[in-house]
Amino acid sequence: MLLAILAGIAALAVVLAIVYALYRRSKKKTEDTVPHTKDLKQVDTYGVEPLKQKTSFGTTGTTEVPQHTTSSGTAGEMLNSRFVAMGVLAAAIFGTLSAKLWSMQILQASDYRKQAEANLYTTVYTPAPRGIIYDANGVPLVTNRSSYTVIADSSVADDRDVCLRLSTILGIPYQVVRQNIQDSSTGAQNNRVVATDVSLRNIAFISEHADAFSGISTEMRTARAYPYGALAAHVLGYASTASSSDLQNADEGRNVLSGDVVGKSGVEYTYENLLAGDHGTRTLLTNASGVVQRIVSETNPTRGNDIYLTIKAPVQEAADKAMRSTLAPNGQLGAGNGSGAGLVCLDATNGEIIALSNFPSYAPGNFVGGISSDVWNSFNSESSHYPLMDRVVQGTYPAASTFKGFTSFAALQCGVATSSSTYYCSGTWTGFGSSYAQKCWNHSGHGTLNLVGGIAHSCDVVFYEIAKGFYDQRATLGETAMQDYVKEYGLGSKLGIDLSGEAEGRIPTPEWKAEYFKDAPEEAQWLPGDMTNMAIGQGYVLVTPLQIAAGYAGIATGTVYRPHVMKEVRNSLGETVLSFEPEVIATPTQSEANAKLVREGLKEVMTVNNYDDRFFSGLNYTVAGKTGTAQVSGKKDYSWFVCYAPADNPKYVCACLTEEGVSSTVCSMPMCATVIQAAMSLDAGNIDSTSVEYIDGSYTTVASSSSSSTSTARED
Amino acid sequence: MSTMNYPQRMRQVTSVKHPDARLVAATAPRRFKYLNIPFLLVVIALVAYGLFIVYSATVNNDTYNFSRQAAGVLVGAVLMFLLFRYDYHQLSHYMVFFLIVNVVLILMPHVPGIGATAKGATSWVNIGPVNFQPGEFAKVTVILLDACVISKYGGKLTNPVDFLKALGIMIVPFVCIMTQPDLGTGLVYLFIAAVALVVGGADVKFLLITLAVLVAGVAAVLILDPILDNMAGHDVLLKDYQKSRLLVFLDNNYDPTGDGYNLKQAKIAIGSGGFLGKGYMNATQSALGYLPESPTDFIFCVLAEEFGFVGSLALIALYALLVYLCYRIAYGAKDLFGTLIVMCITGMWLFQVLENIGMCCGLMPITGIPLPFMSYGTSFMVVNFTLLGLIGSVWAHSGR
Repeated sequence: MLLAILAGIAALAVVLAIVYALYRRSKKKTEDTVPHTKDLKQVDTYGVEPLKQKTSFGTTGTTEVPQHTTSSGTAGEMLNSRFVAMGVLAAAIFGTLSAKLWSMQILQASDYRKQAEANLYTTVYTPAPRGIIYDANGVPLVTNRSSYTVIADSSVADDRDVCLRLSTILGIPYQVVRQNIQDSSTGAQNNRVVATDVSLRNIAFISEHADAFSGISTEMRTARAYPYGALAAHVLGYASTASSSDLQNADEGRNVLSGDVVGKSGVEYTYENLLAGDHGTRTLLTNASGVVQRIVSETNPTRGNDIYLTIKAPVQEAADKAMRSTLAPNGQLGAGNGSGAGLVCLDATNGEIIALSNFPSYAPGNFVGGISSDVWNSFNSESSHYPLMDRVVQGTYPAASTFKGFTSFAALQCGVATSSSTYYCSGTWTGFGSSYAQKCWNHSGHGTLNLVGGIAHSCDVVFYEIAKGFYDQRATLGETAMQDYVKEYGLGSKLGIDLSGEAEGRIPTPEWKAEYFKDAPEEAQWLPGDMTNMAIGQGYVLVTPLQIAAGYAGIATGTVYRPHVMKEVRNSLGETVLSFEPEVIATPTQSEANAKLVREGLKEVMTVNNYDDRFFSGLNYTVAGKTGTAQVSGKKDYSWFVCYAPADNPKYVCACLTEEGVSSTVCSMPMCATVIQAAMSLDAGNIDSTSVEYIDGSYTTVASSSSSSTSTARED
Repeated sequence: MSTMNYPQRMRQVTSVKHPDARLVAATAPRRFKYLNIPFLLVVIALVAYGLFIVYSATVNNDTYNFSRQAAGVLVGAVLMFLLFRYDYHQLSHYMVFFLIVNVVLILMPHVPGIGATAKGATSWVNIGPVNFQPGEFAKVTVILLDACVISKYGGKLTNPVDFLKALGIMIVPFVCIMTQPDLGTGLVYLFIAAVALVVGGADVKFLLITLAVLVAGVAAVLILDPILDNMAGHDVLLKDYQKSRLLVFLDNNYDPTGDGYNLKQAKIAIGSGGFLGKGYMNATQSALGYLPESPTDFIFCVLAEEFGFVGSLALIALYALLVYLCYRIAYGAKDLFGTLIVMCITGMWLFQVLENIGMCCGLMPITGIPLPFMSYGTSFMVVNFTLLGLIGSVWAHSGR
């Protein structure tokens, strides 16, 4: 800036110098042509009037000009040149102003007119209600309700009086009021949410005393409502006020405005663009203080599309309740069996997810109107065991013995084992030499077994032998014959479920190991032990409960469908605009005989171990399944159970993993039993499809070793 | 004195020996001896135009009272007609008196109890219900003082000592007003003095040297200001608002919601008026409050928005006509004192028109200088009518 001024001054100085030079030159000329000018001037100052000059009036000519200066009839005449200078000045001023006005009012008029209009008109957006989320039978799982909201301009945070008044009226501590206003995550400059669900009485008071609440406005917004609390929390997900990154990353064609509620997880996130409605707009003529003069145009908001899920609320309720009573009796996580669990029940014939449950869980209602940082922090603390995590989709675990179903099929299909193969289990296996001895889980041994017996008793030695078979025949079968076959069931890759954050899992191969340990070459070599570990689902194998469920659907039916939770989308008029068609993602190669053999093994699991009598008695159908106990370093054993029913004509598959569940029979198996029986009963018409109970999402954690911590959760 | 040729017509009009026919017609009836009809018509047109626009700008604004403006016109008109008959010649003997009156008037706001400070300047005097800016009234006495000083030299100021003496006296009102401080009015005083010097026949060399010193002084202030501010830790020479006005002037888009807001809205008002304007009372920029201070400093924007380029040009034409008629009266004055009075008044109006309309367009930095005959302000109106009265006096006593 200083530079510009100095440049201007320099320019002025140059102009001055030029003017002075011109003046000197003209003066010299004058002196040359009229040598007596000076004398005349002196005479003039004494007011002497040379009479002879009068004759020169009426004539023109430059040579005569100096003479006129002496003939001062009036005061002005002796100062002619000064008058000319003043005239030039006036002409320059009026000329400049006129030229500038011409440029502004003629040349740039339309530009300025646009700016004037931009001043006048303000467009106000009314948030549109989001679509409602129903279960498969039309039970509304997420609805809308109206909520009076108090909104503040960010500058109000510095206005002590207004903050104090708000604090008194709303019954919120002064510091919290200030914090809410300063919190930029709830909206832009003029849209900071102070409080939601304010009573109509308080809203009326604030509106009536607008003078005392400058910078404060009130608005009726719609908020998400969860009639069944934490039911299906991880499927539904939660929605909350758009963050700045949500605003920036909005999909093309979407108009996400600050203050809008957007889906952050689950179906709310996946189908955000369908659920979100179109804003209502209102164009207003306002004055400079923002006071509305009149409404120019108006459109009403349109509600978003409704989504019908494949979830069946009664089955989901059974799952959520079973989880809660198993892991957190009396609402205390740690007092039951396991520290966390994920369960999924899907329709083996089309991939529809009937129920998907996790524990610990949360009530999505906590996020309505902005979640408090205390609750948010507790949701993300280790002591709360991460209730926001969808273990079914996002959690990866060693598959343990549930993997044996896939190993068996692989062995049969590749000819490593046959229906007549027999194995001897002494409790210890030394197939790769005595220095590489490995133990069966049953240290006293299973004796002589065929493959079906191996599955039924989950004998590790049988699968060590199978692994050795694959290892020995790697030259003919290929190094990754087992992995390749197992992957046909969708293991080790994303299944493409319509929920976010799906994990891939891992089926280890020599290639993978070399890459994984590339910085530690001595570890990177593929060993026979990697084969034996993989055969029993340990070692480097990682799967999600969803993959196990989908994979067992493949074992049970020969077809793997893409798991999904969305069934159809209906617009606000109730017309179906989109429906999910079943999609086959894999048809693993299975011979009829081999399939029969493996399925027989899975059926025998139930009978040999007496699981059928303990958990599945009195049913008019049989259930096949497989347990698993995964060793995780530093933790108690994780327990698996996966089953399908009816065993001869599979309809539903249910898989469950319980972290630190120790034994499947006290956690995963009873939970799966409850859920799959609920699914079957619902189909048989024994359960009312619309009668659903409220699920409490709050819990406390008790740990034997560490002090207890509390996860606070507001219920809706 | 000069080689420039001046228009033939001007000489004829003002020549006593060869009186212009139109002048004879205008002055012939004895009862109109004191009235210059074309001059009065232009003044009436200007004042009427001003009242018309001020009414539109104040009708929906409780801060301003249109009837006060009208009252100012009435009081001013009476004062003007009284002054027409008064012979200005006597005033030339009161130089010392004018100097004292100037100093007293301009320093008046510093008197505890009656002085008042607004917007960082101690410029106001409140006596009971009457409040006014003495610096505004001092414009009259500054003009008379400067005319007294310069007329003593008989149109020939070639002695450096005389020049410095004259300069020394004329700078007193400026120094006084800078104690308030009111740079805008101070610049008006300086411009009046400059006109007095130019018209009063000061040597061009002296004028150029003075101008060069002024420019150097401004440059020194701009260069020294940040340095002194740093040393003292607070504003020494330039105030914050002055710096921001300079920034806005250099970059019209600077801080459009803060310091640059006024200018931005003023330009929108003018530009959106277009060719014919939005129509009387349809100025959205001022009616809806986007344009602050619209009846006072930014009255031109209201006019430009309502009547567009045509209306703006009409105003400029009226001003040009007024200036032309004033020049003619000055040229025809009987003595240098009369010429100087009229030229100083005209020069002051010219400067105020340039500064006020210029700042609305972004051509000049923003200062609180009102637009003659247009801006809302009773004392401003009374002062302008007083000056009209003085011009009338010079006209009436030109010896015809």
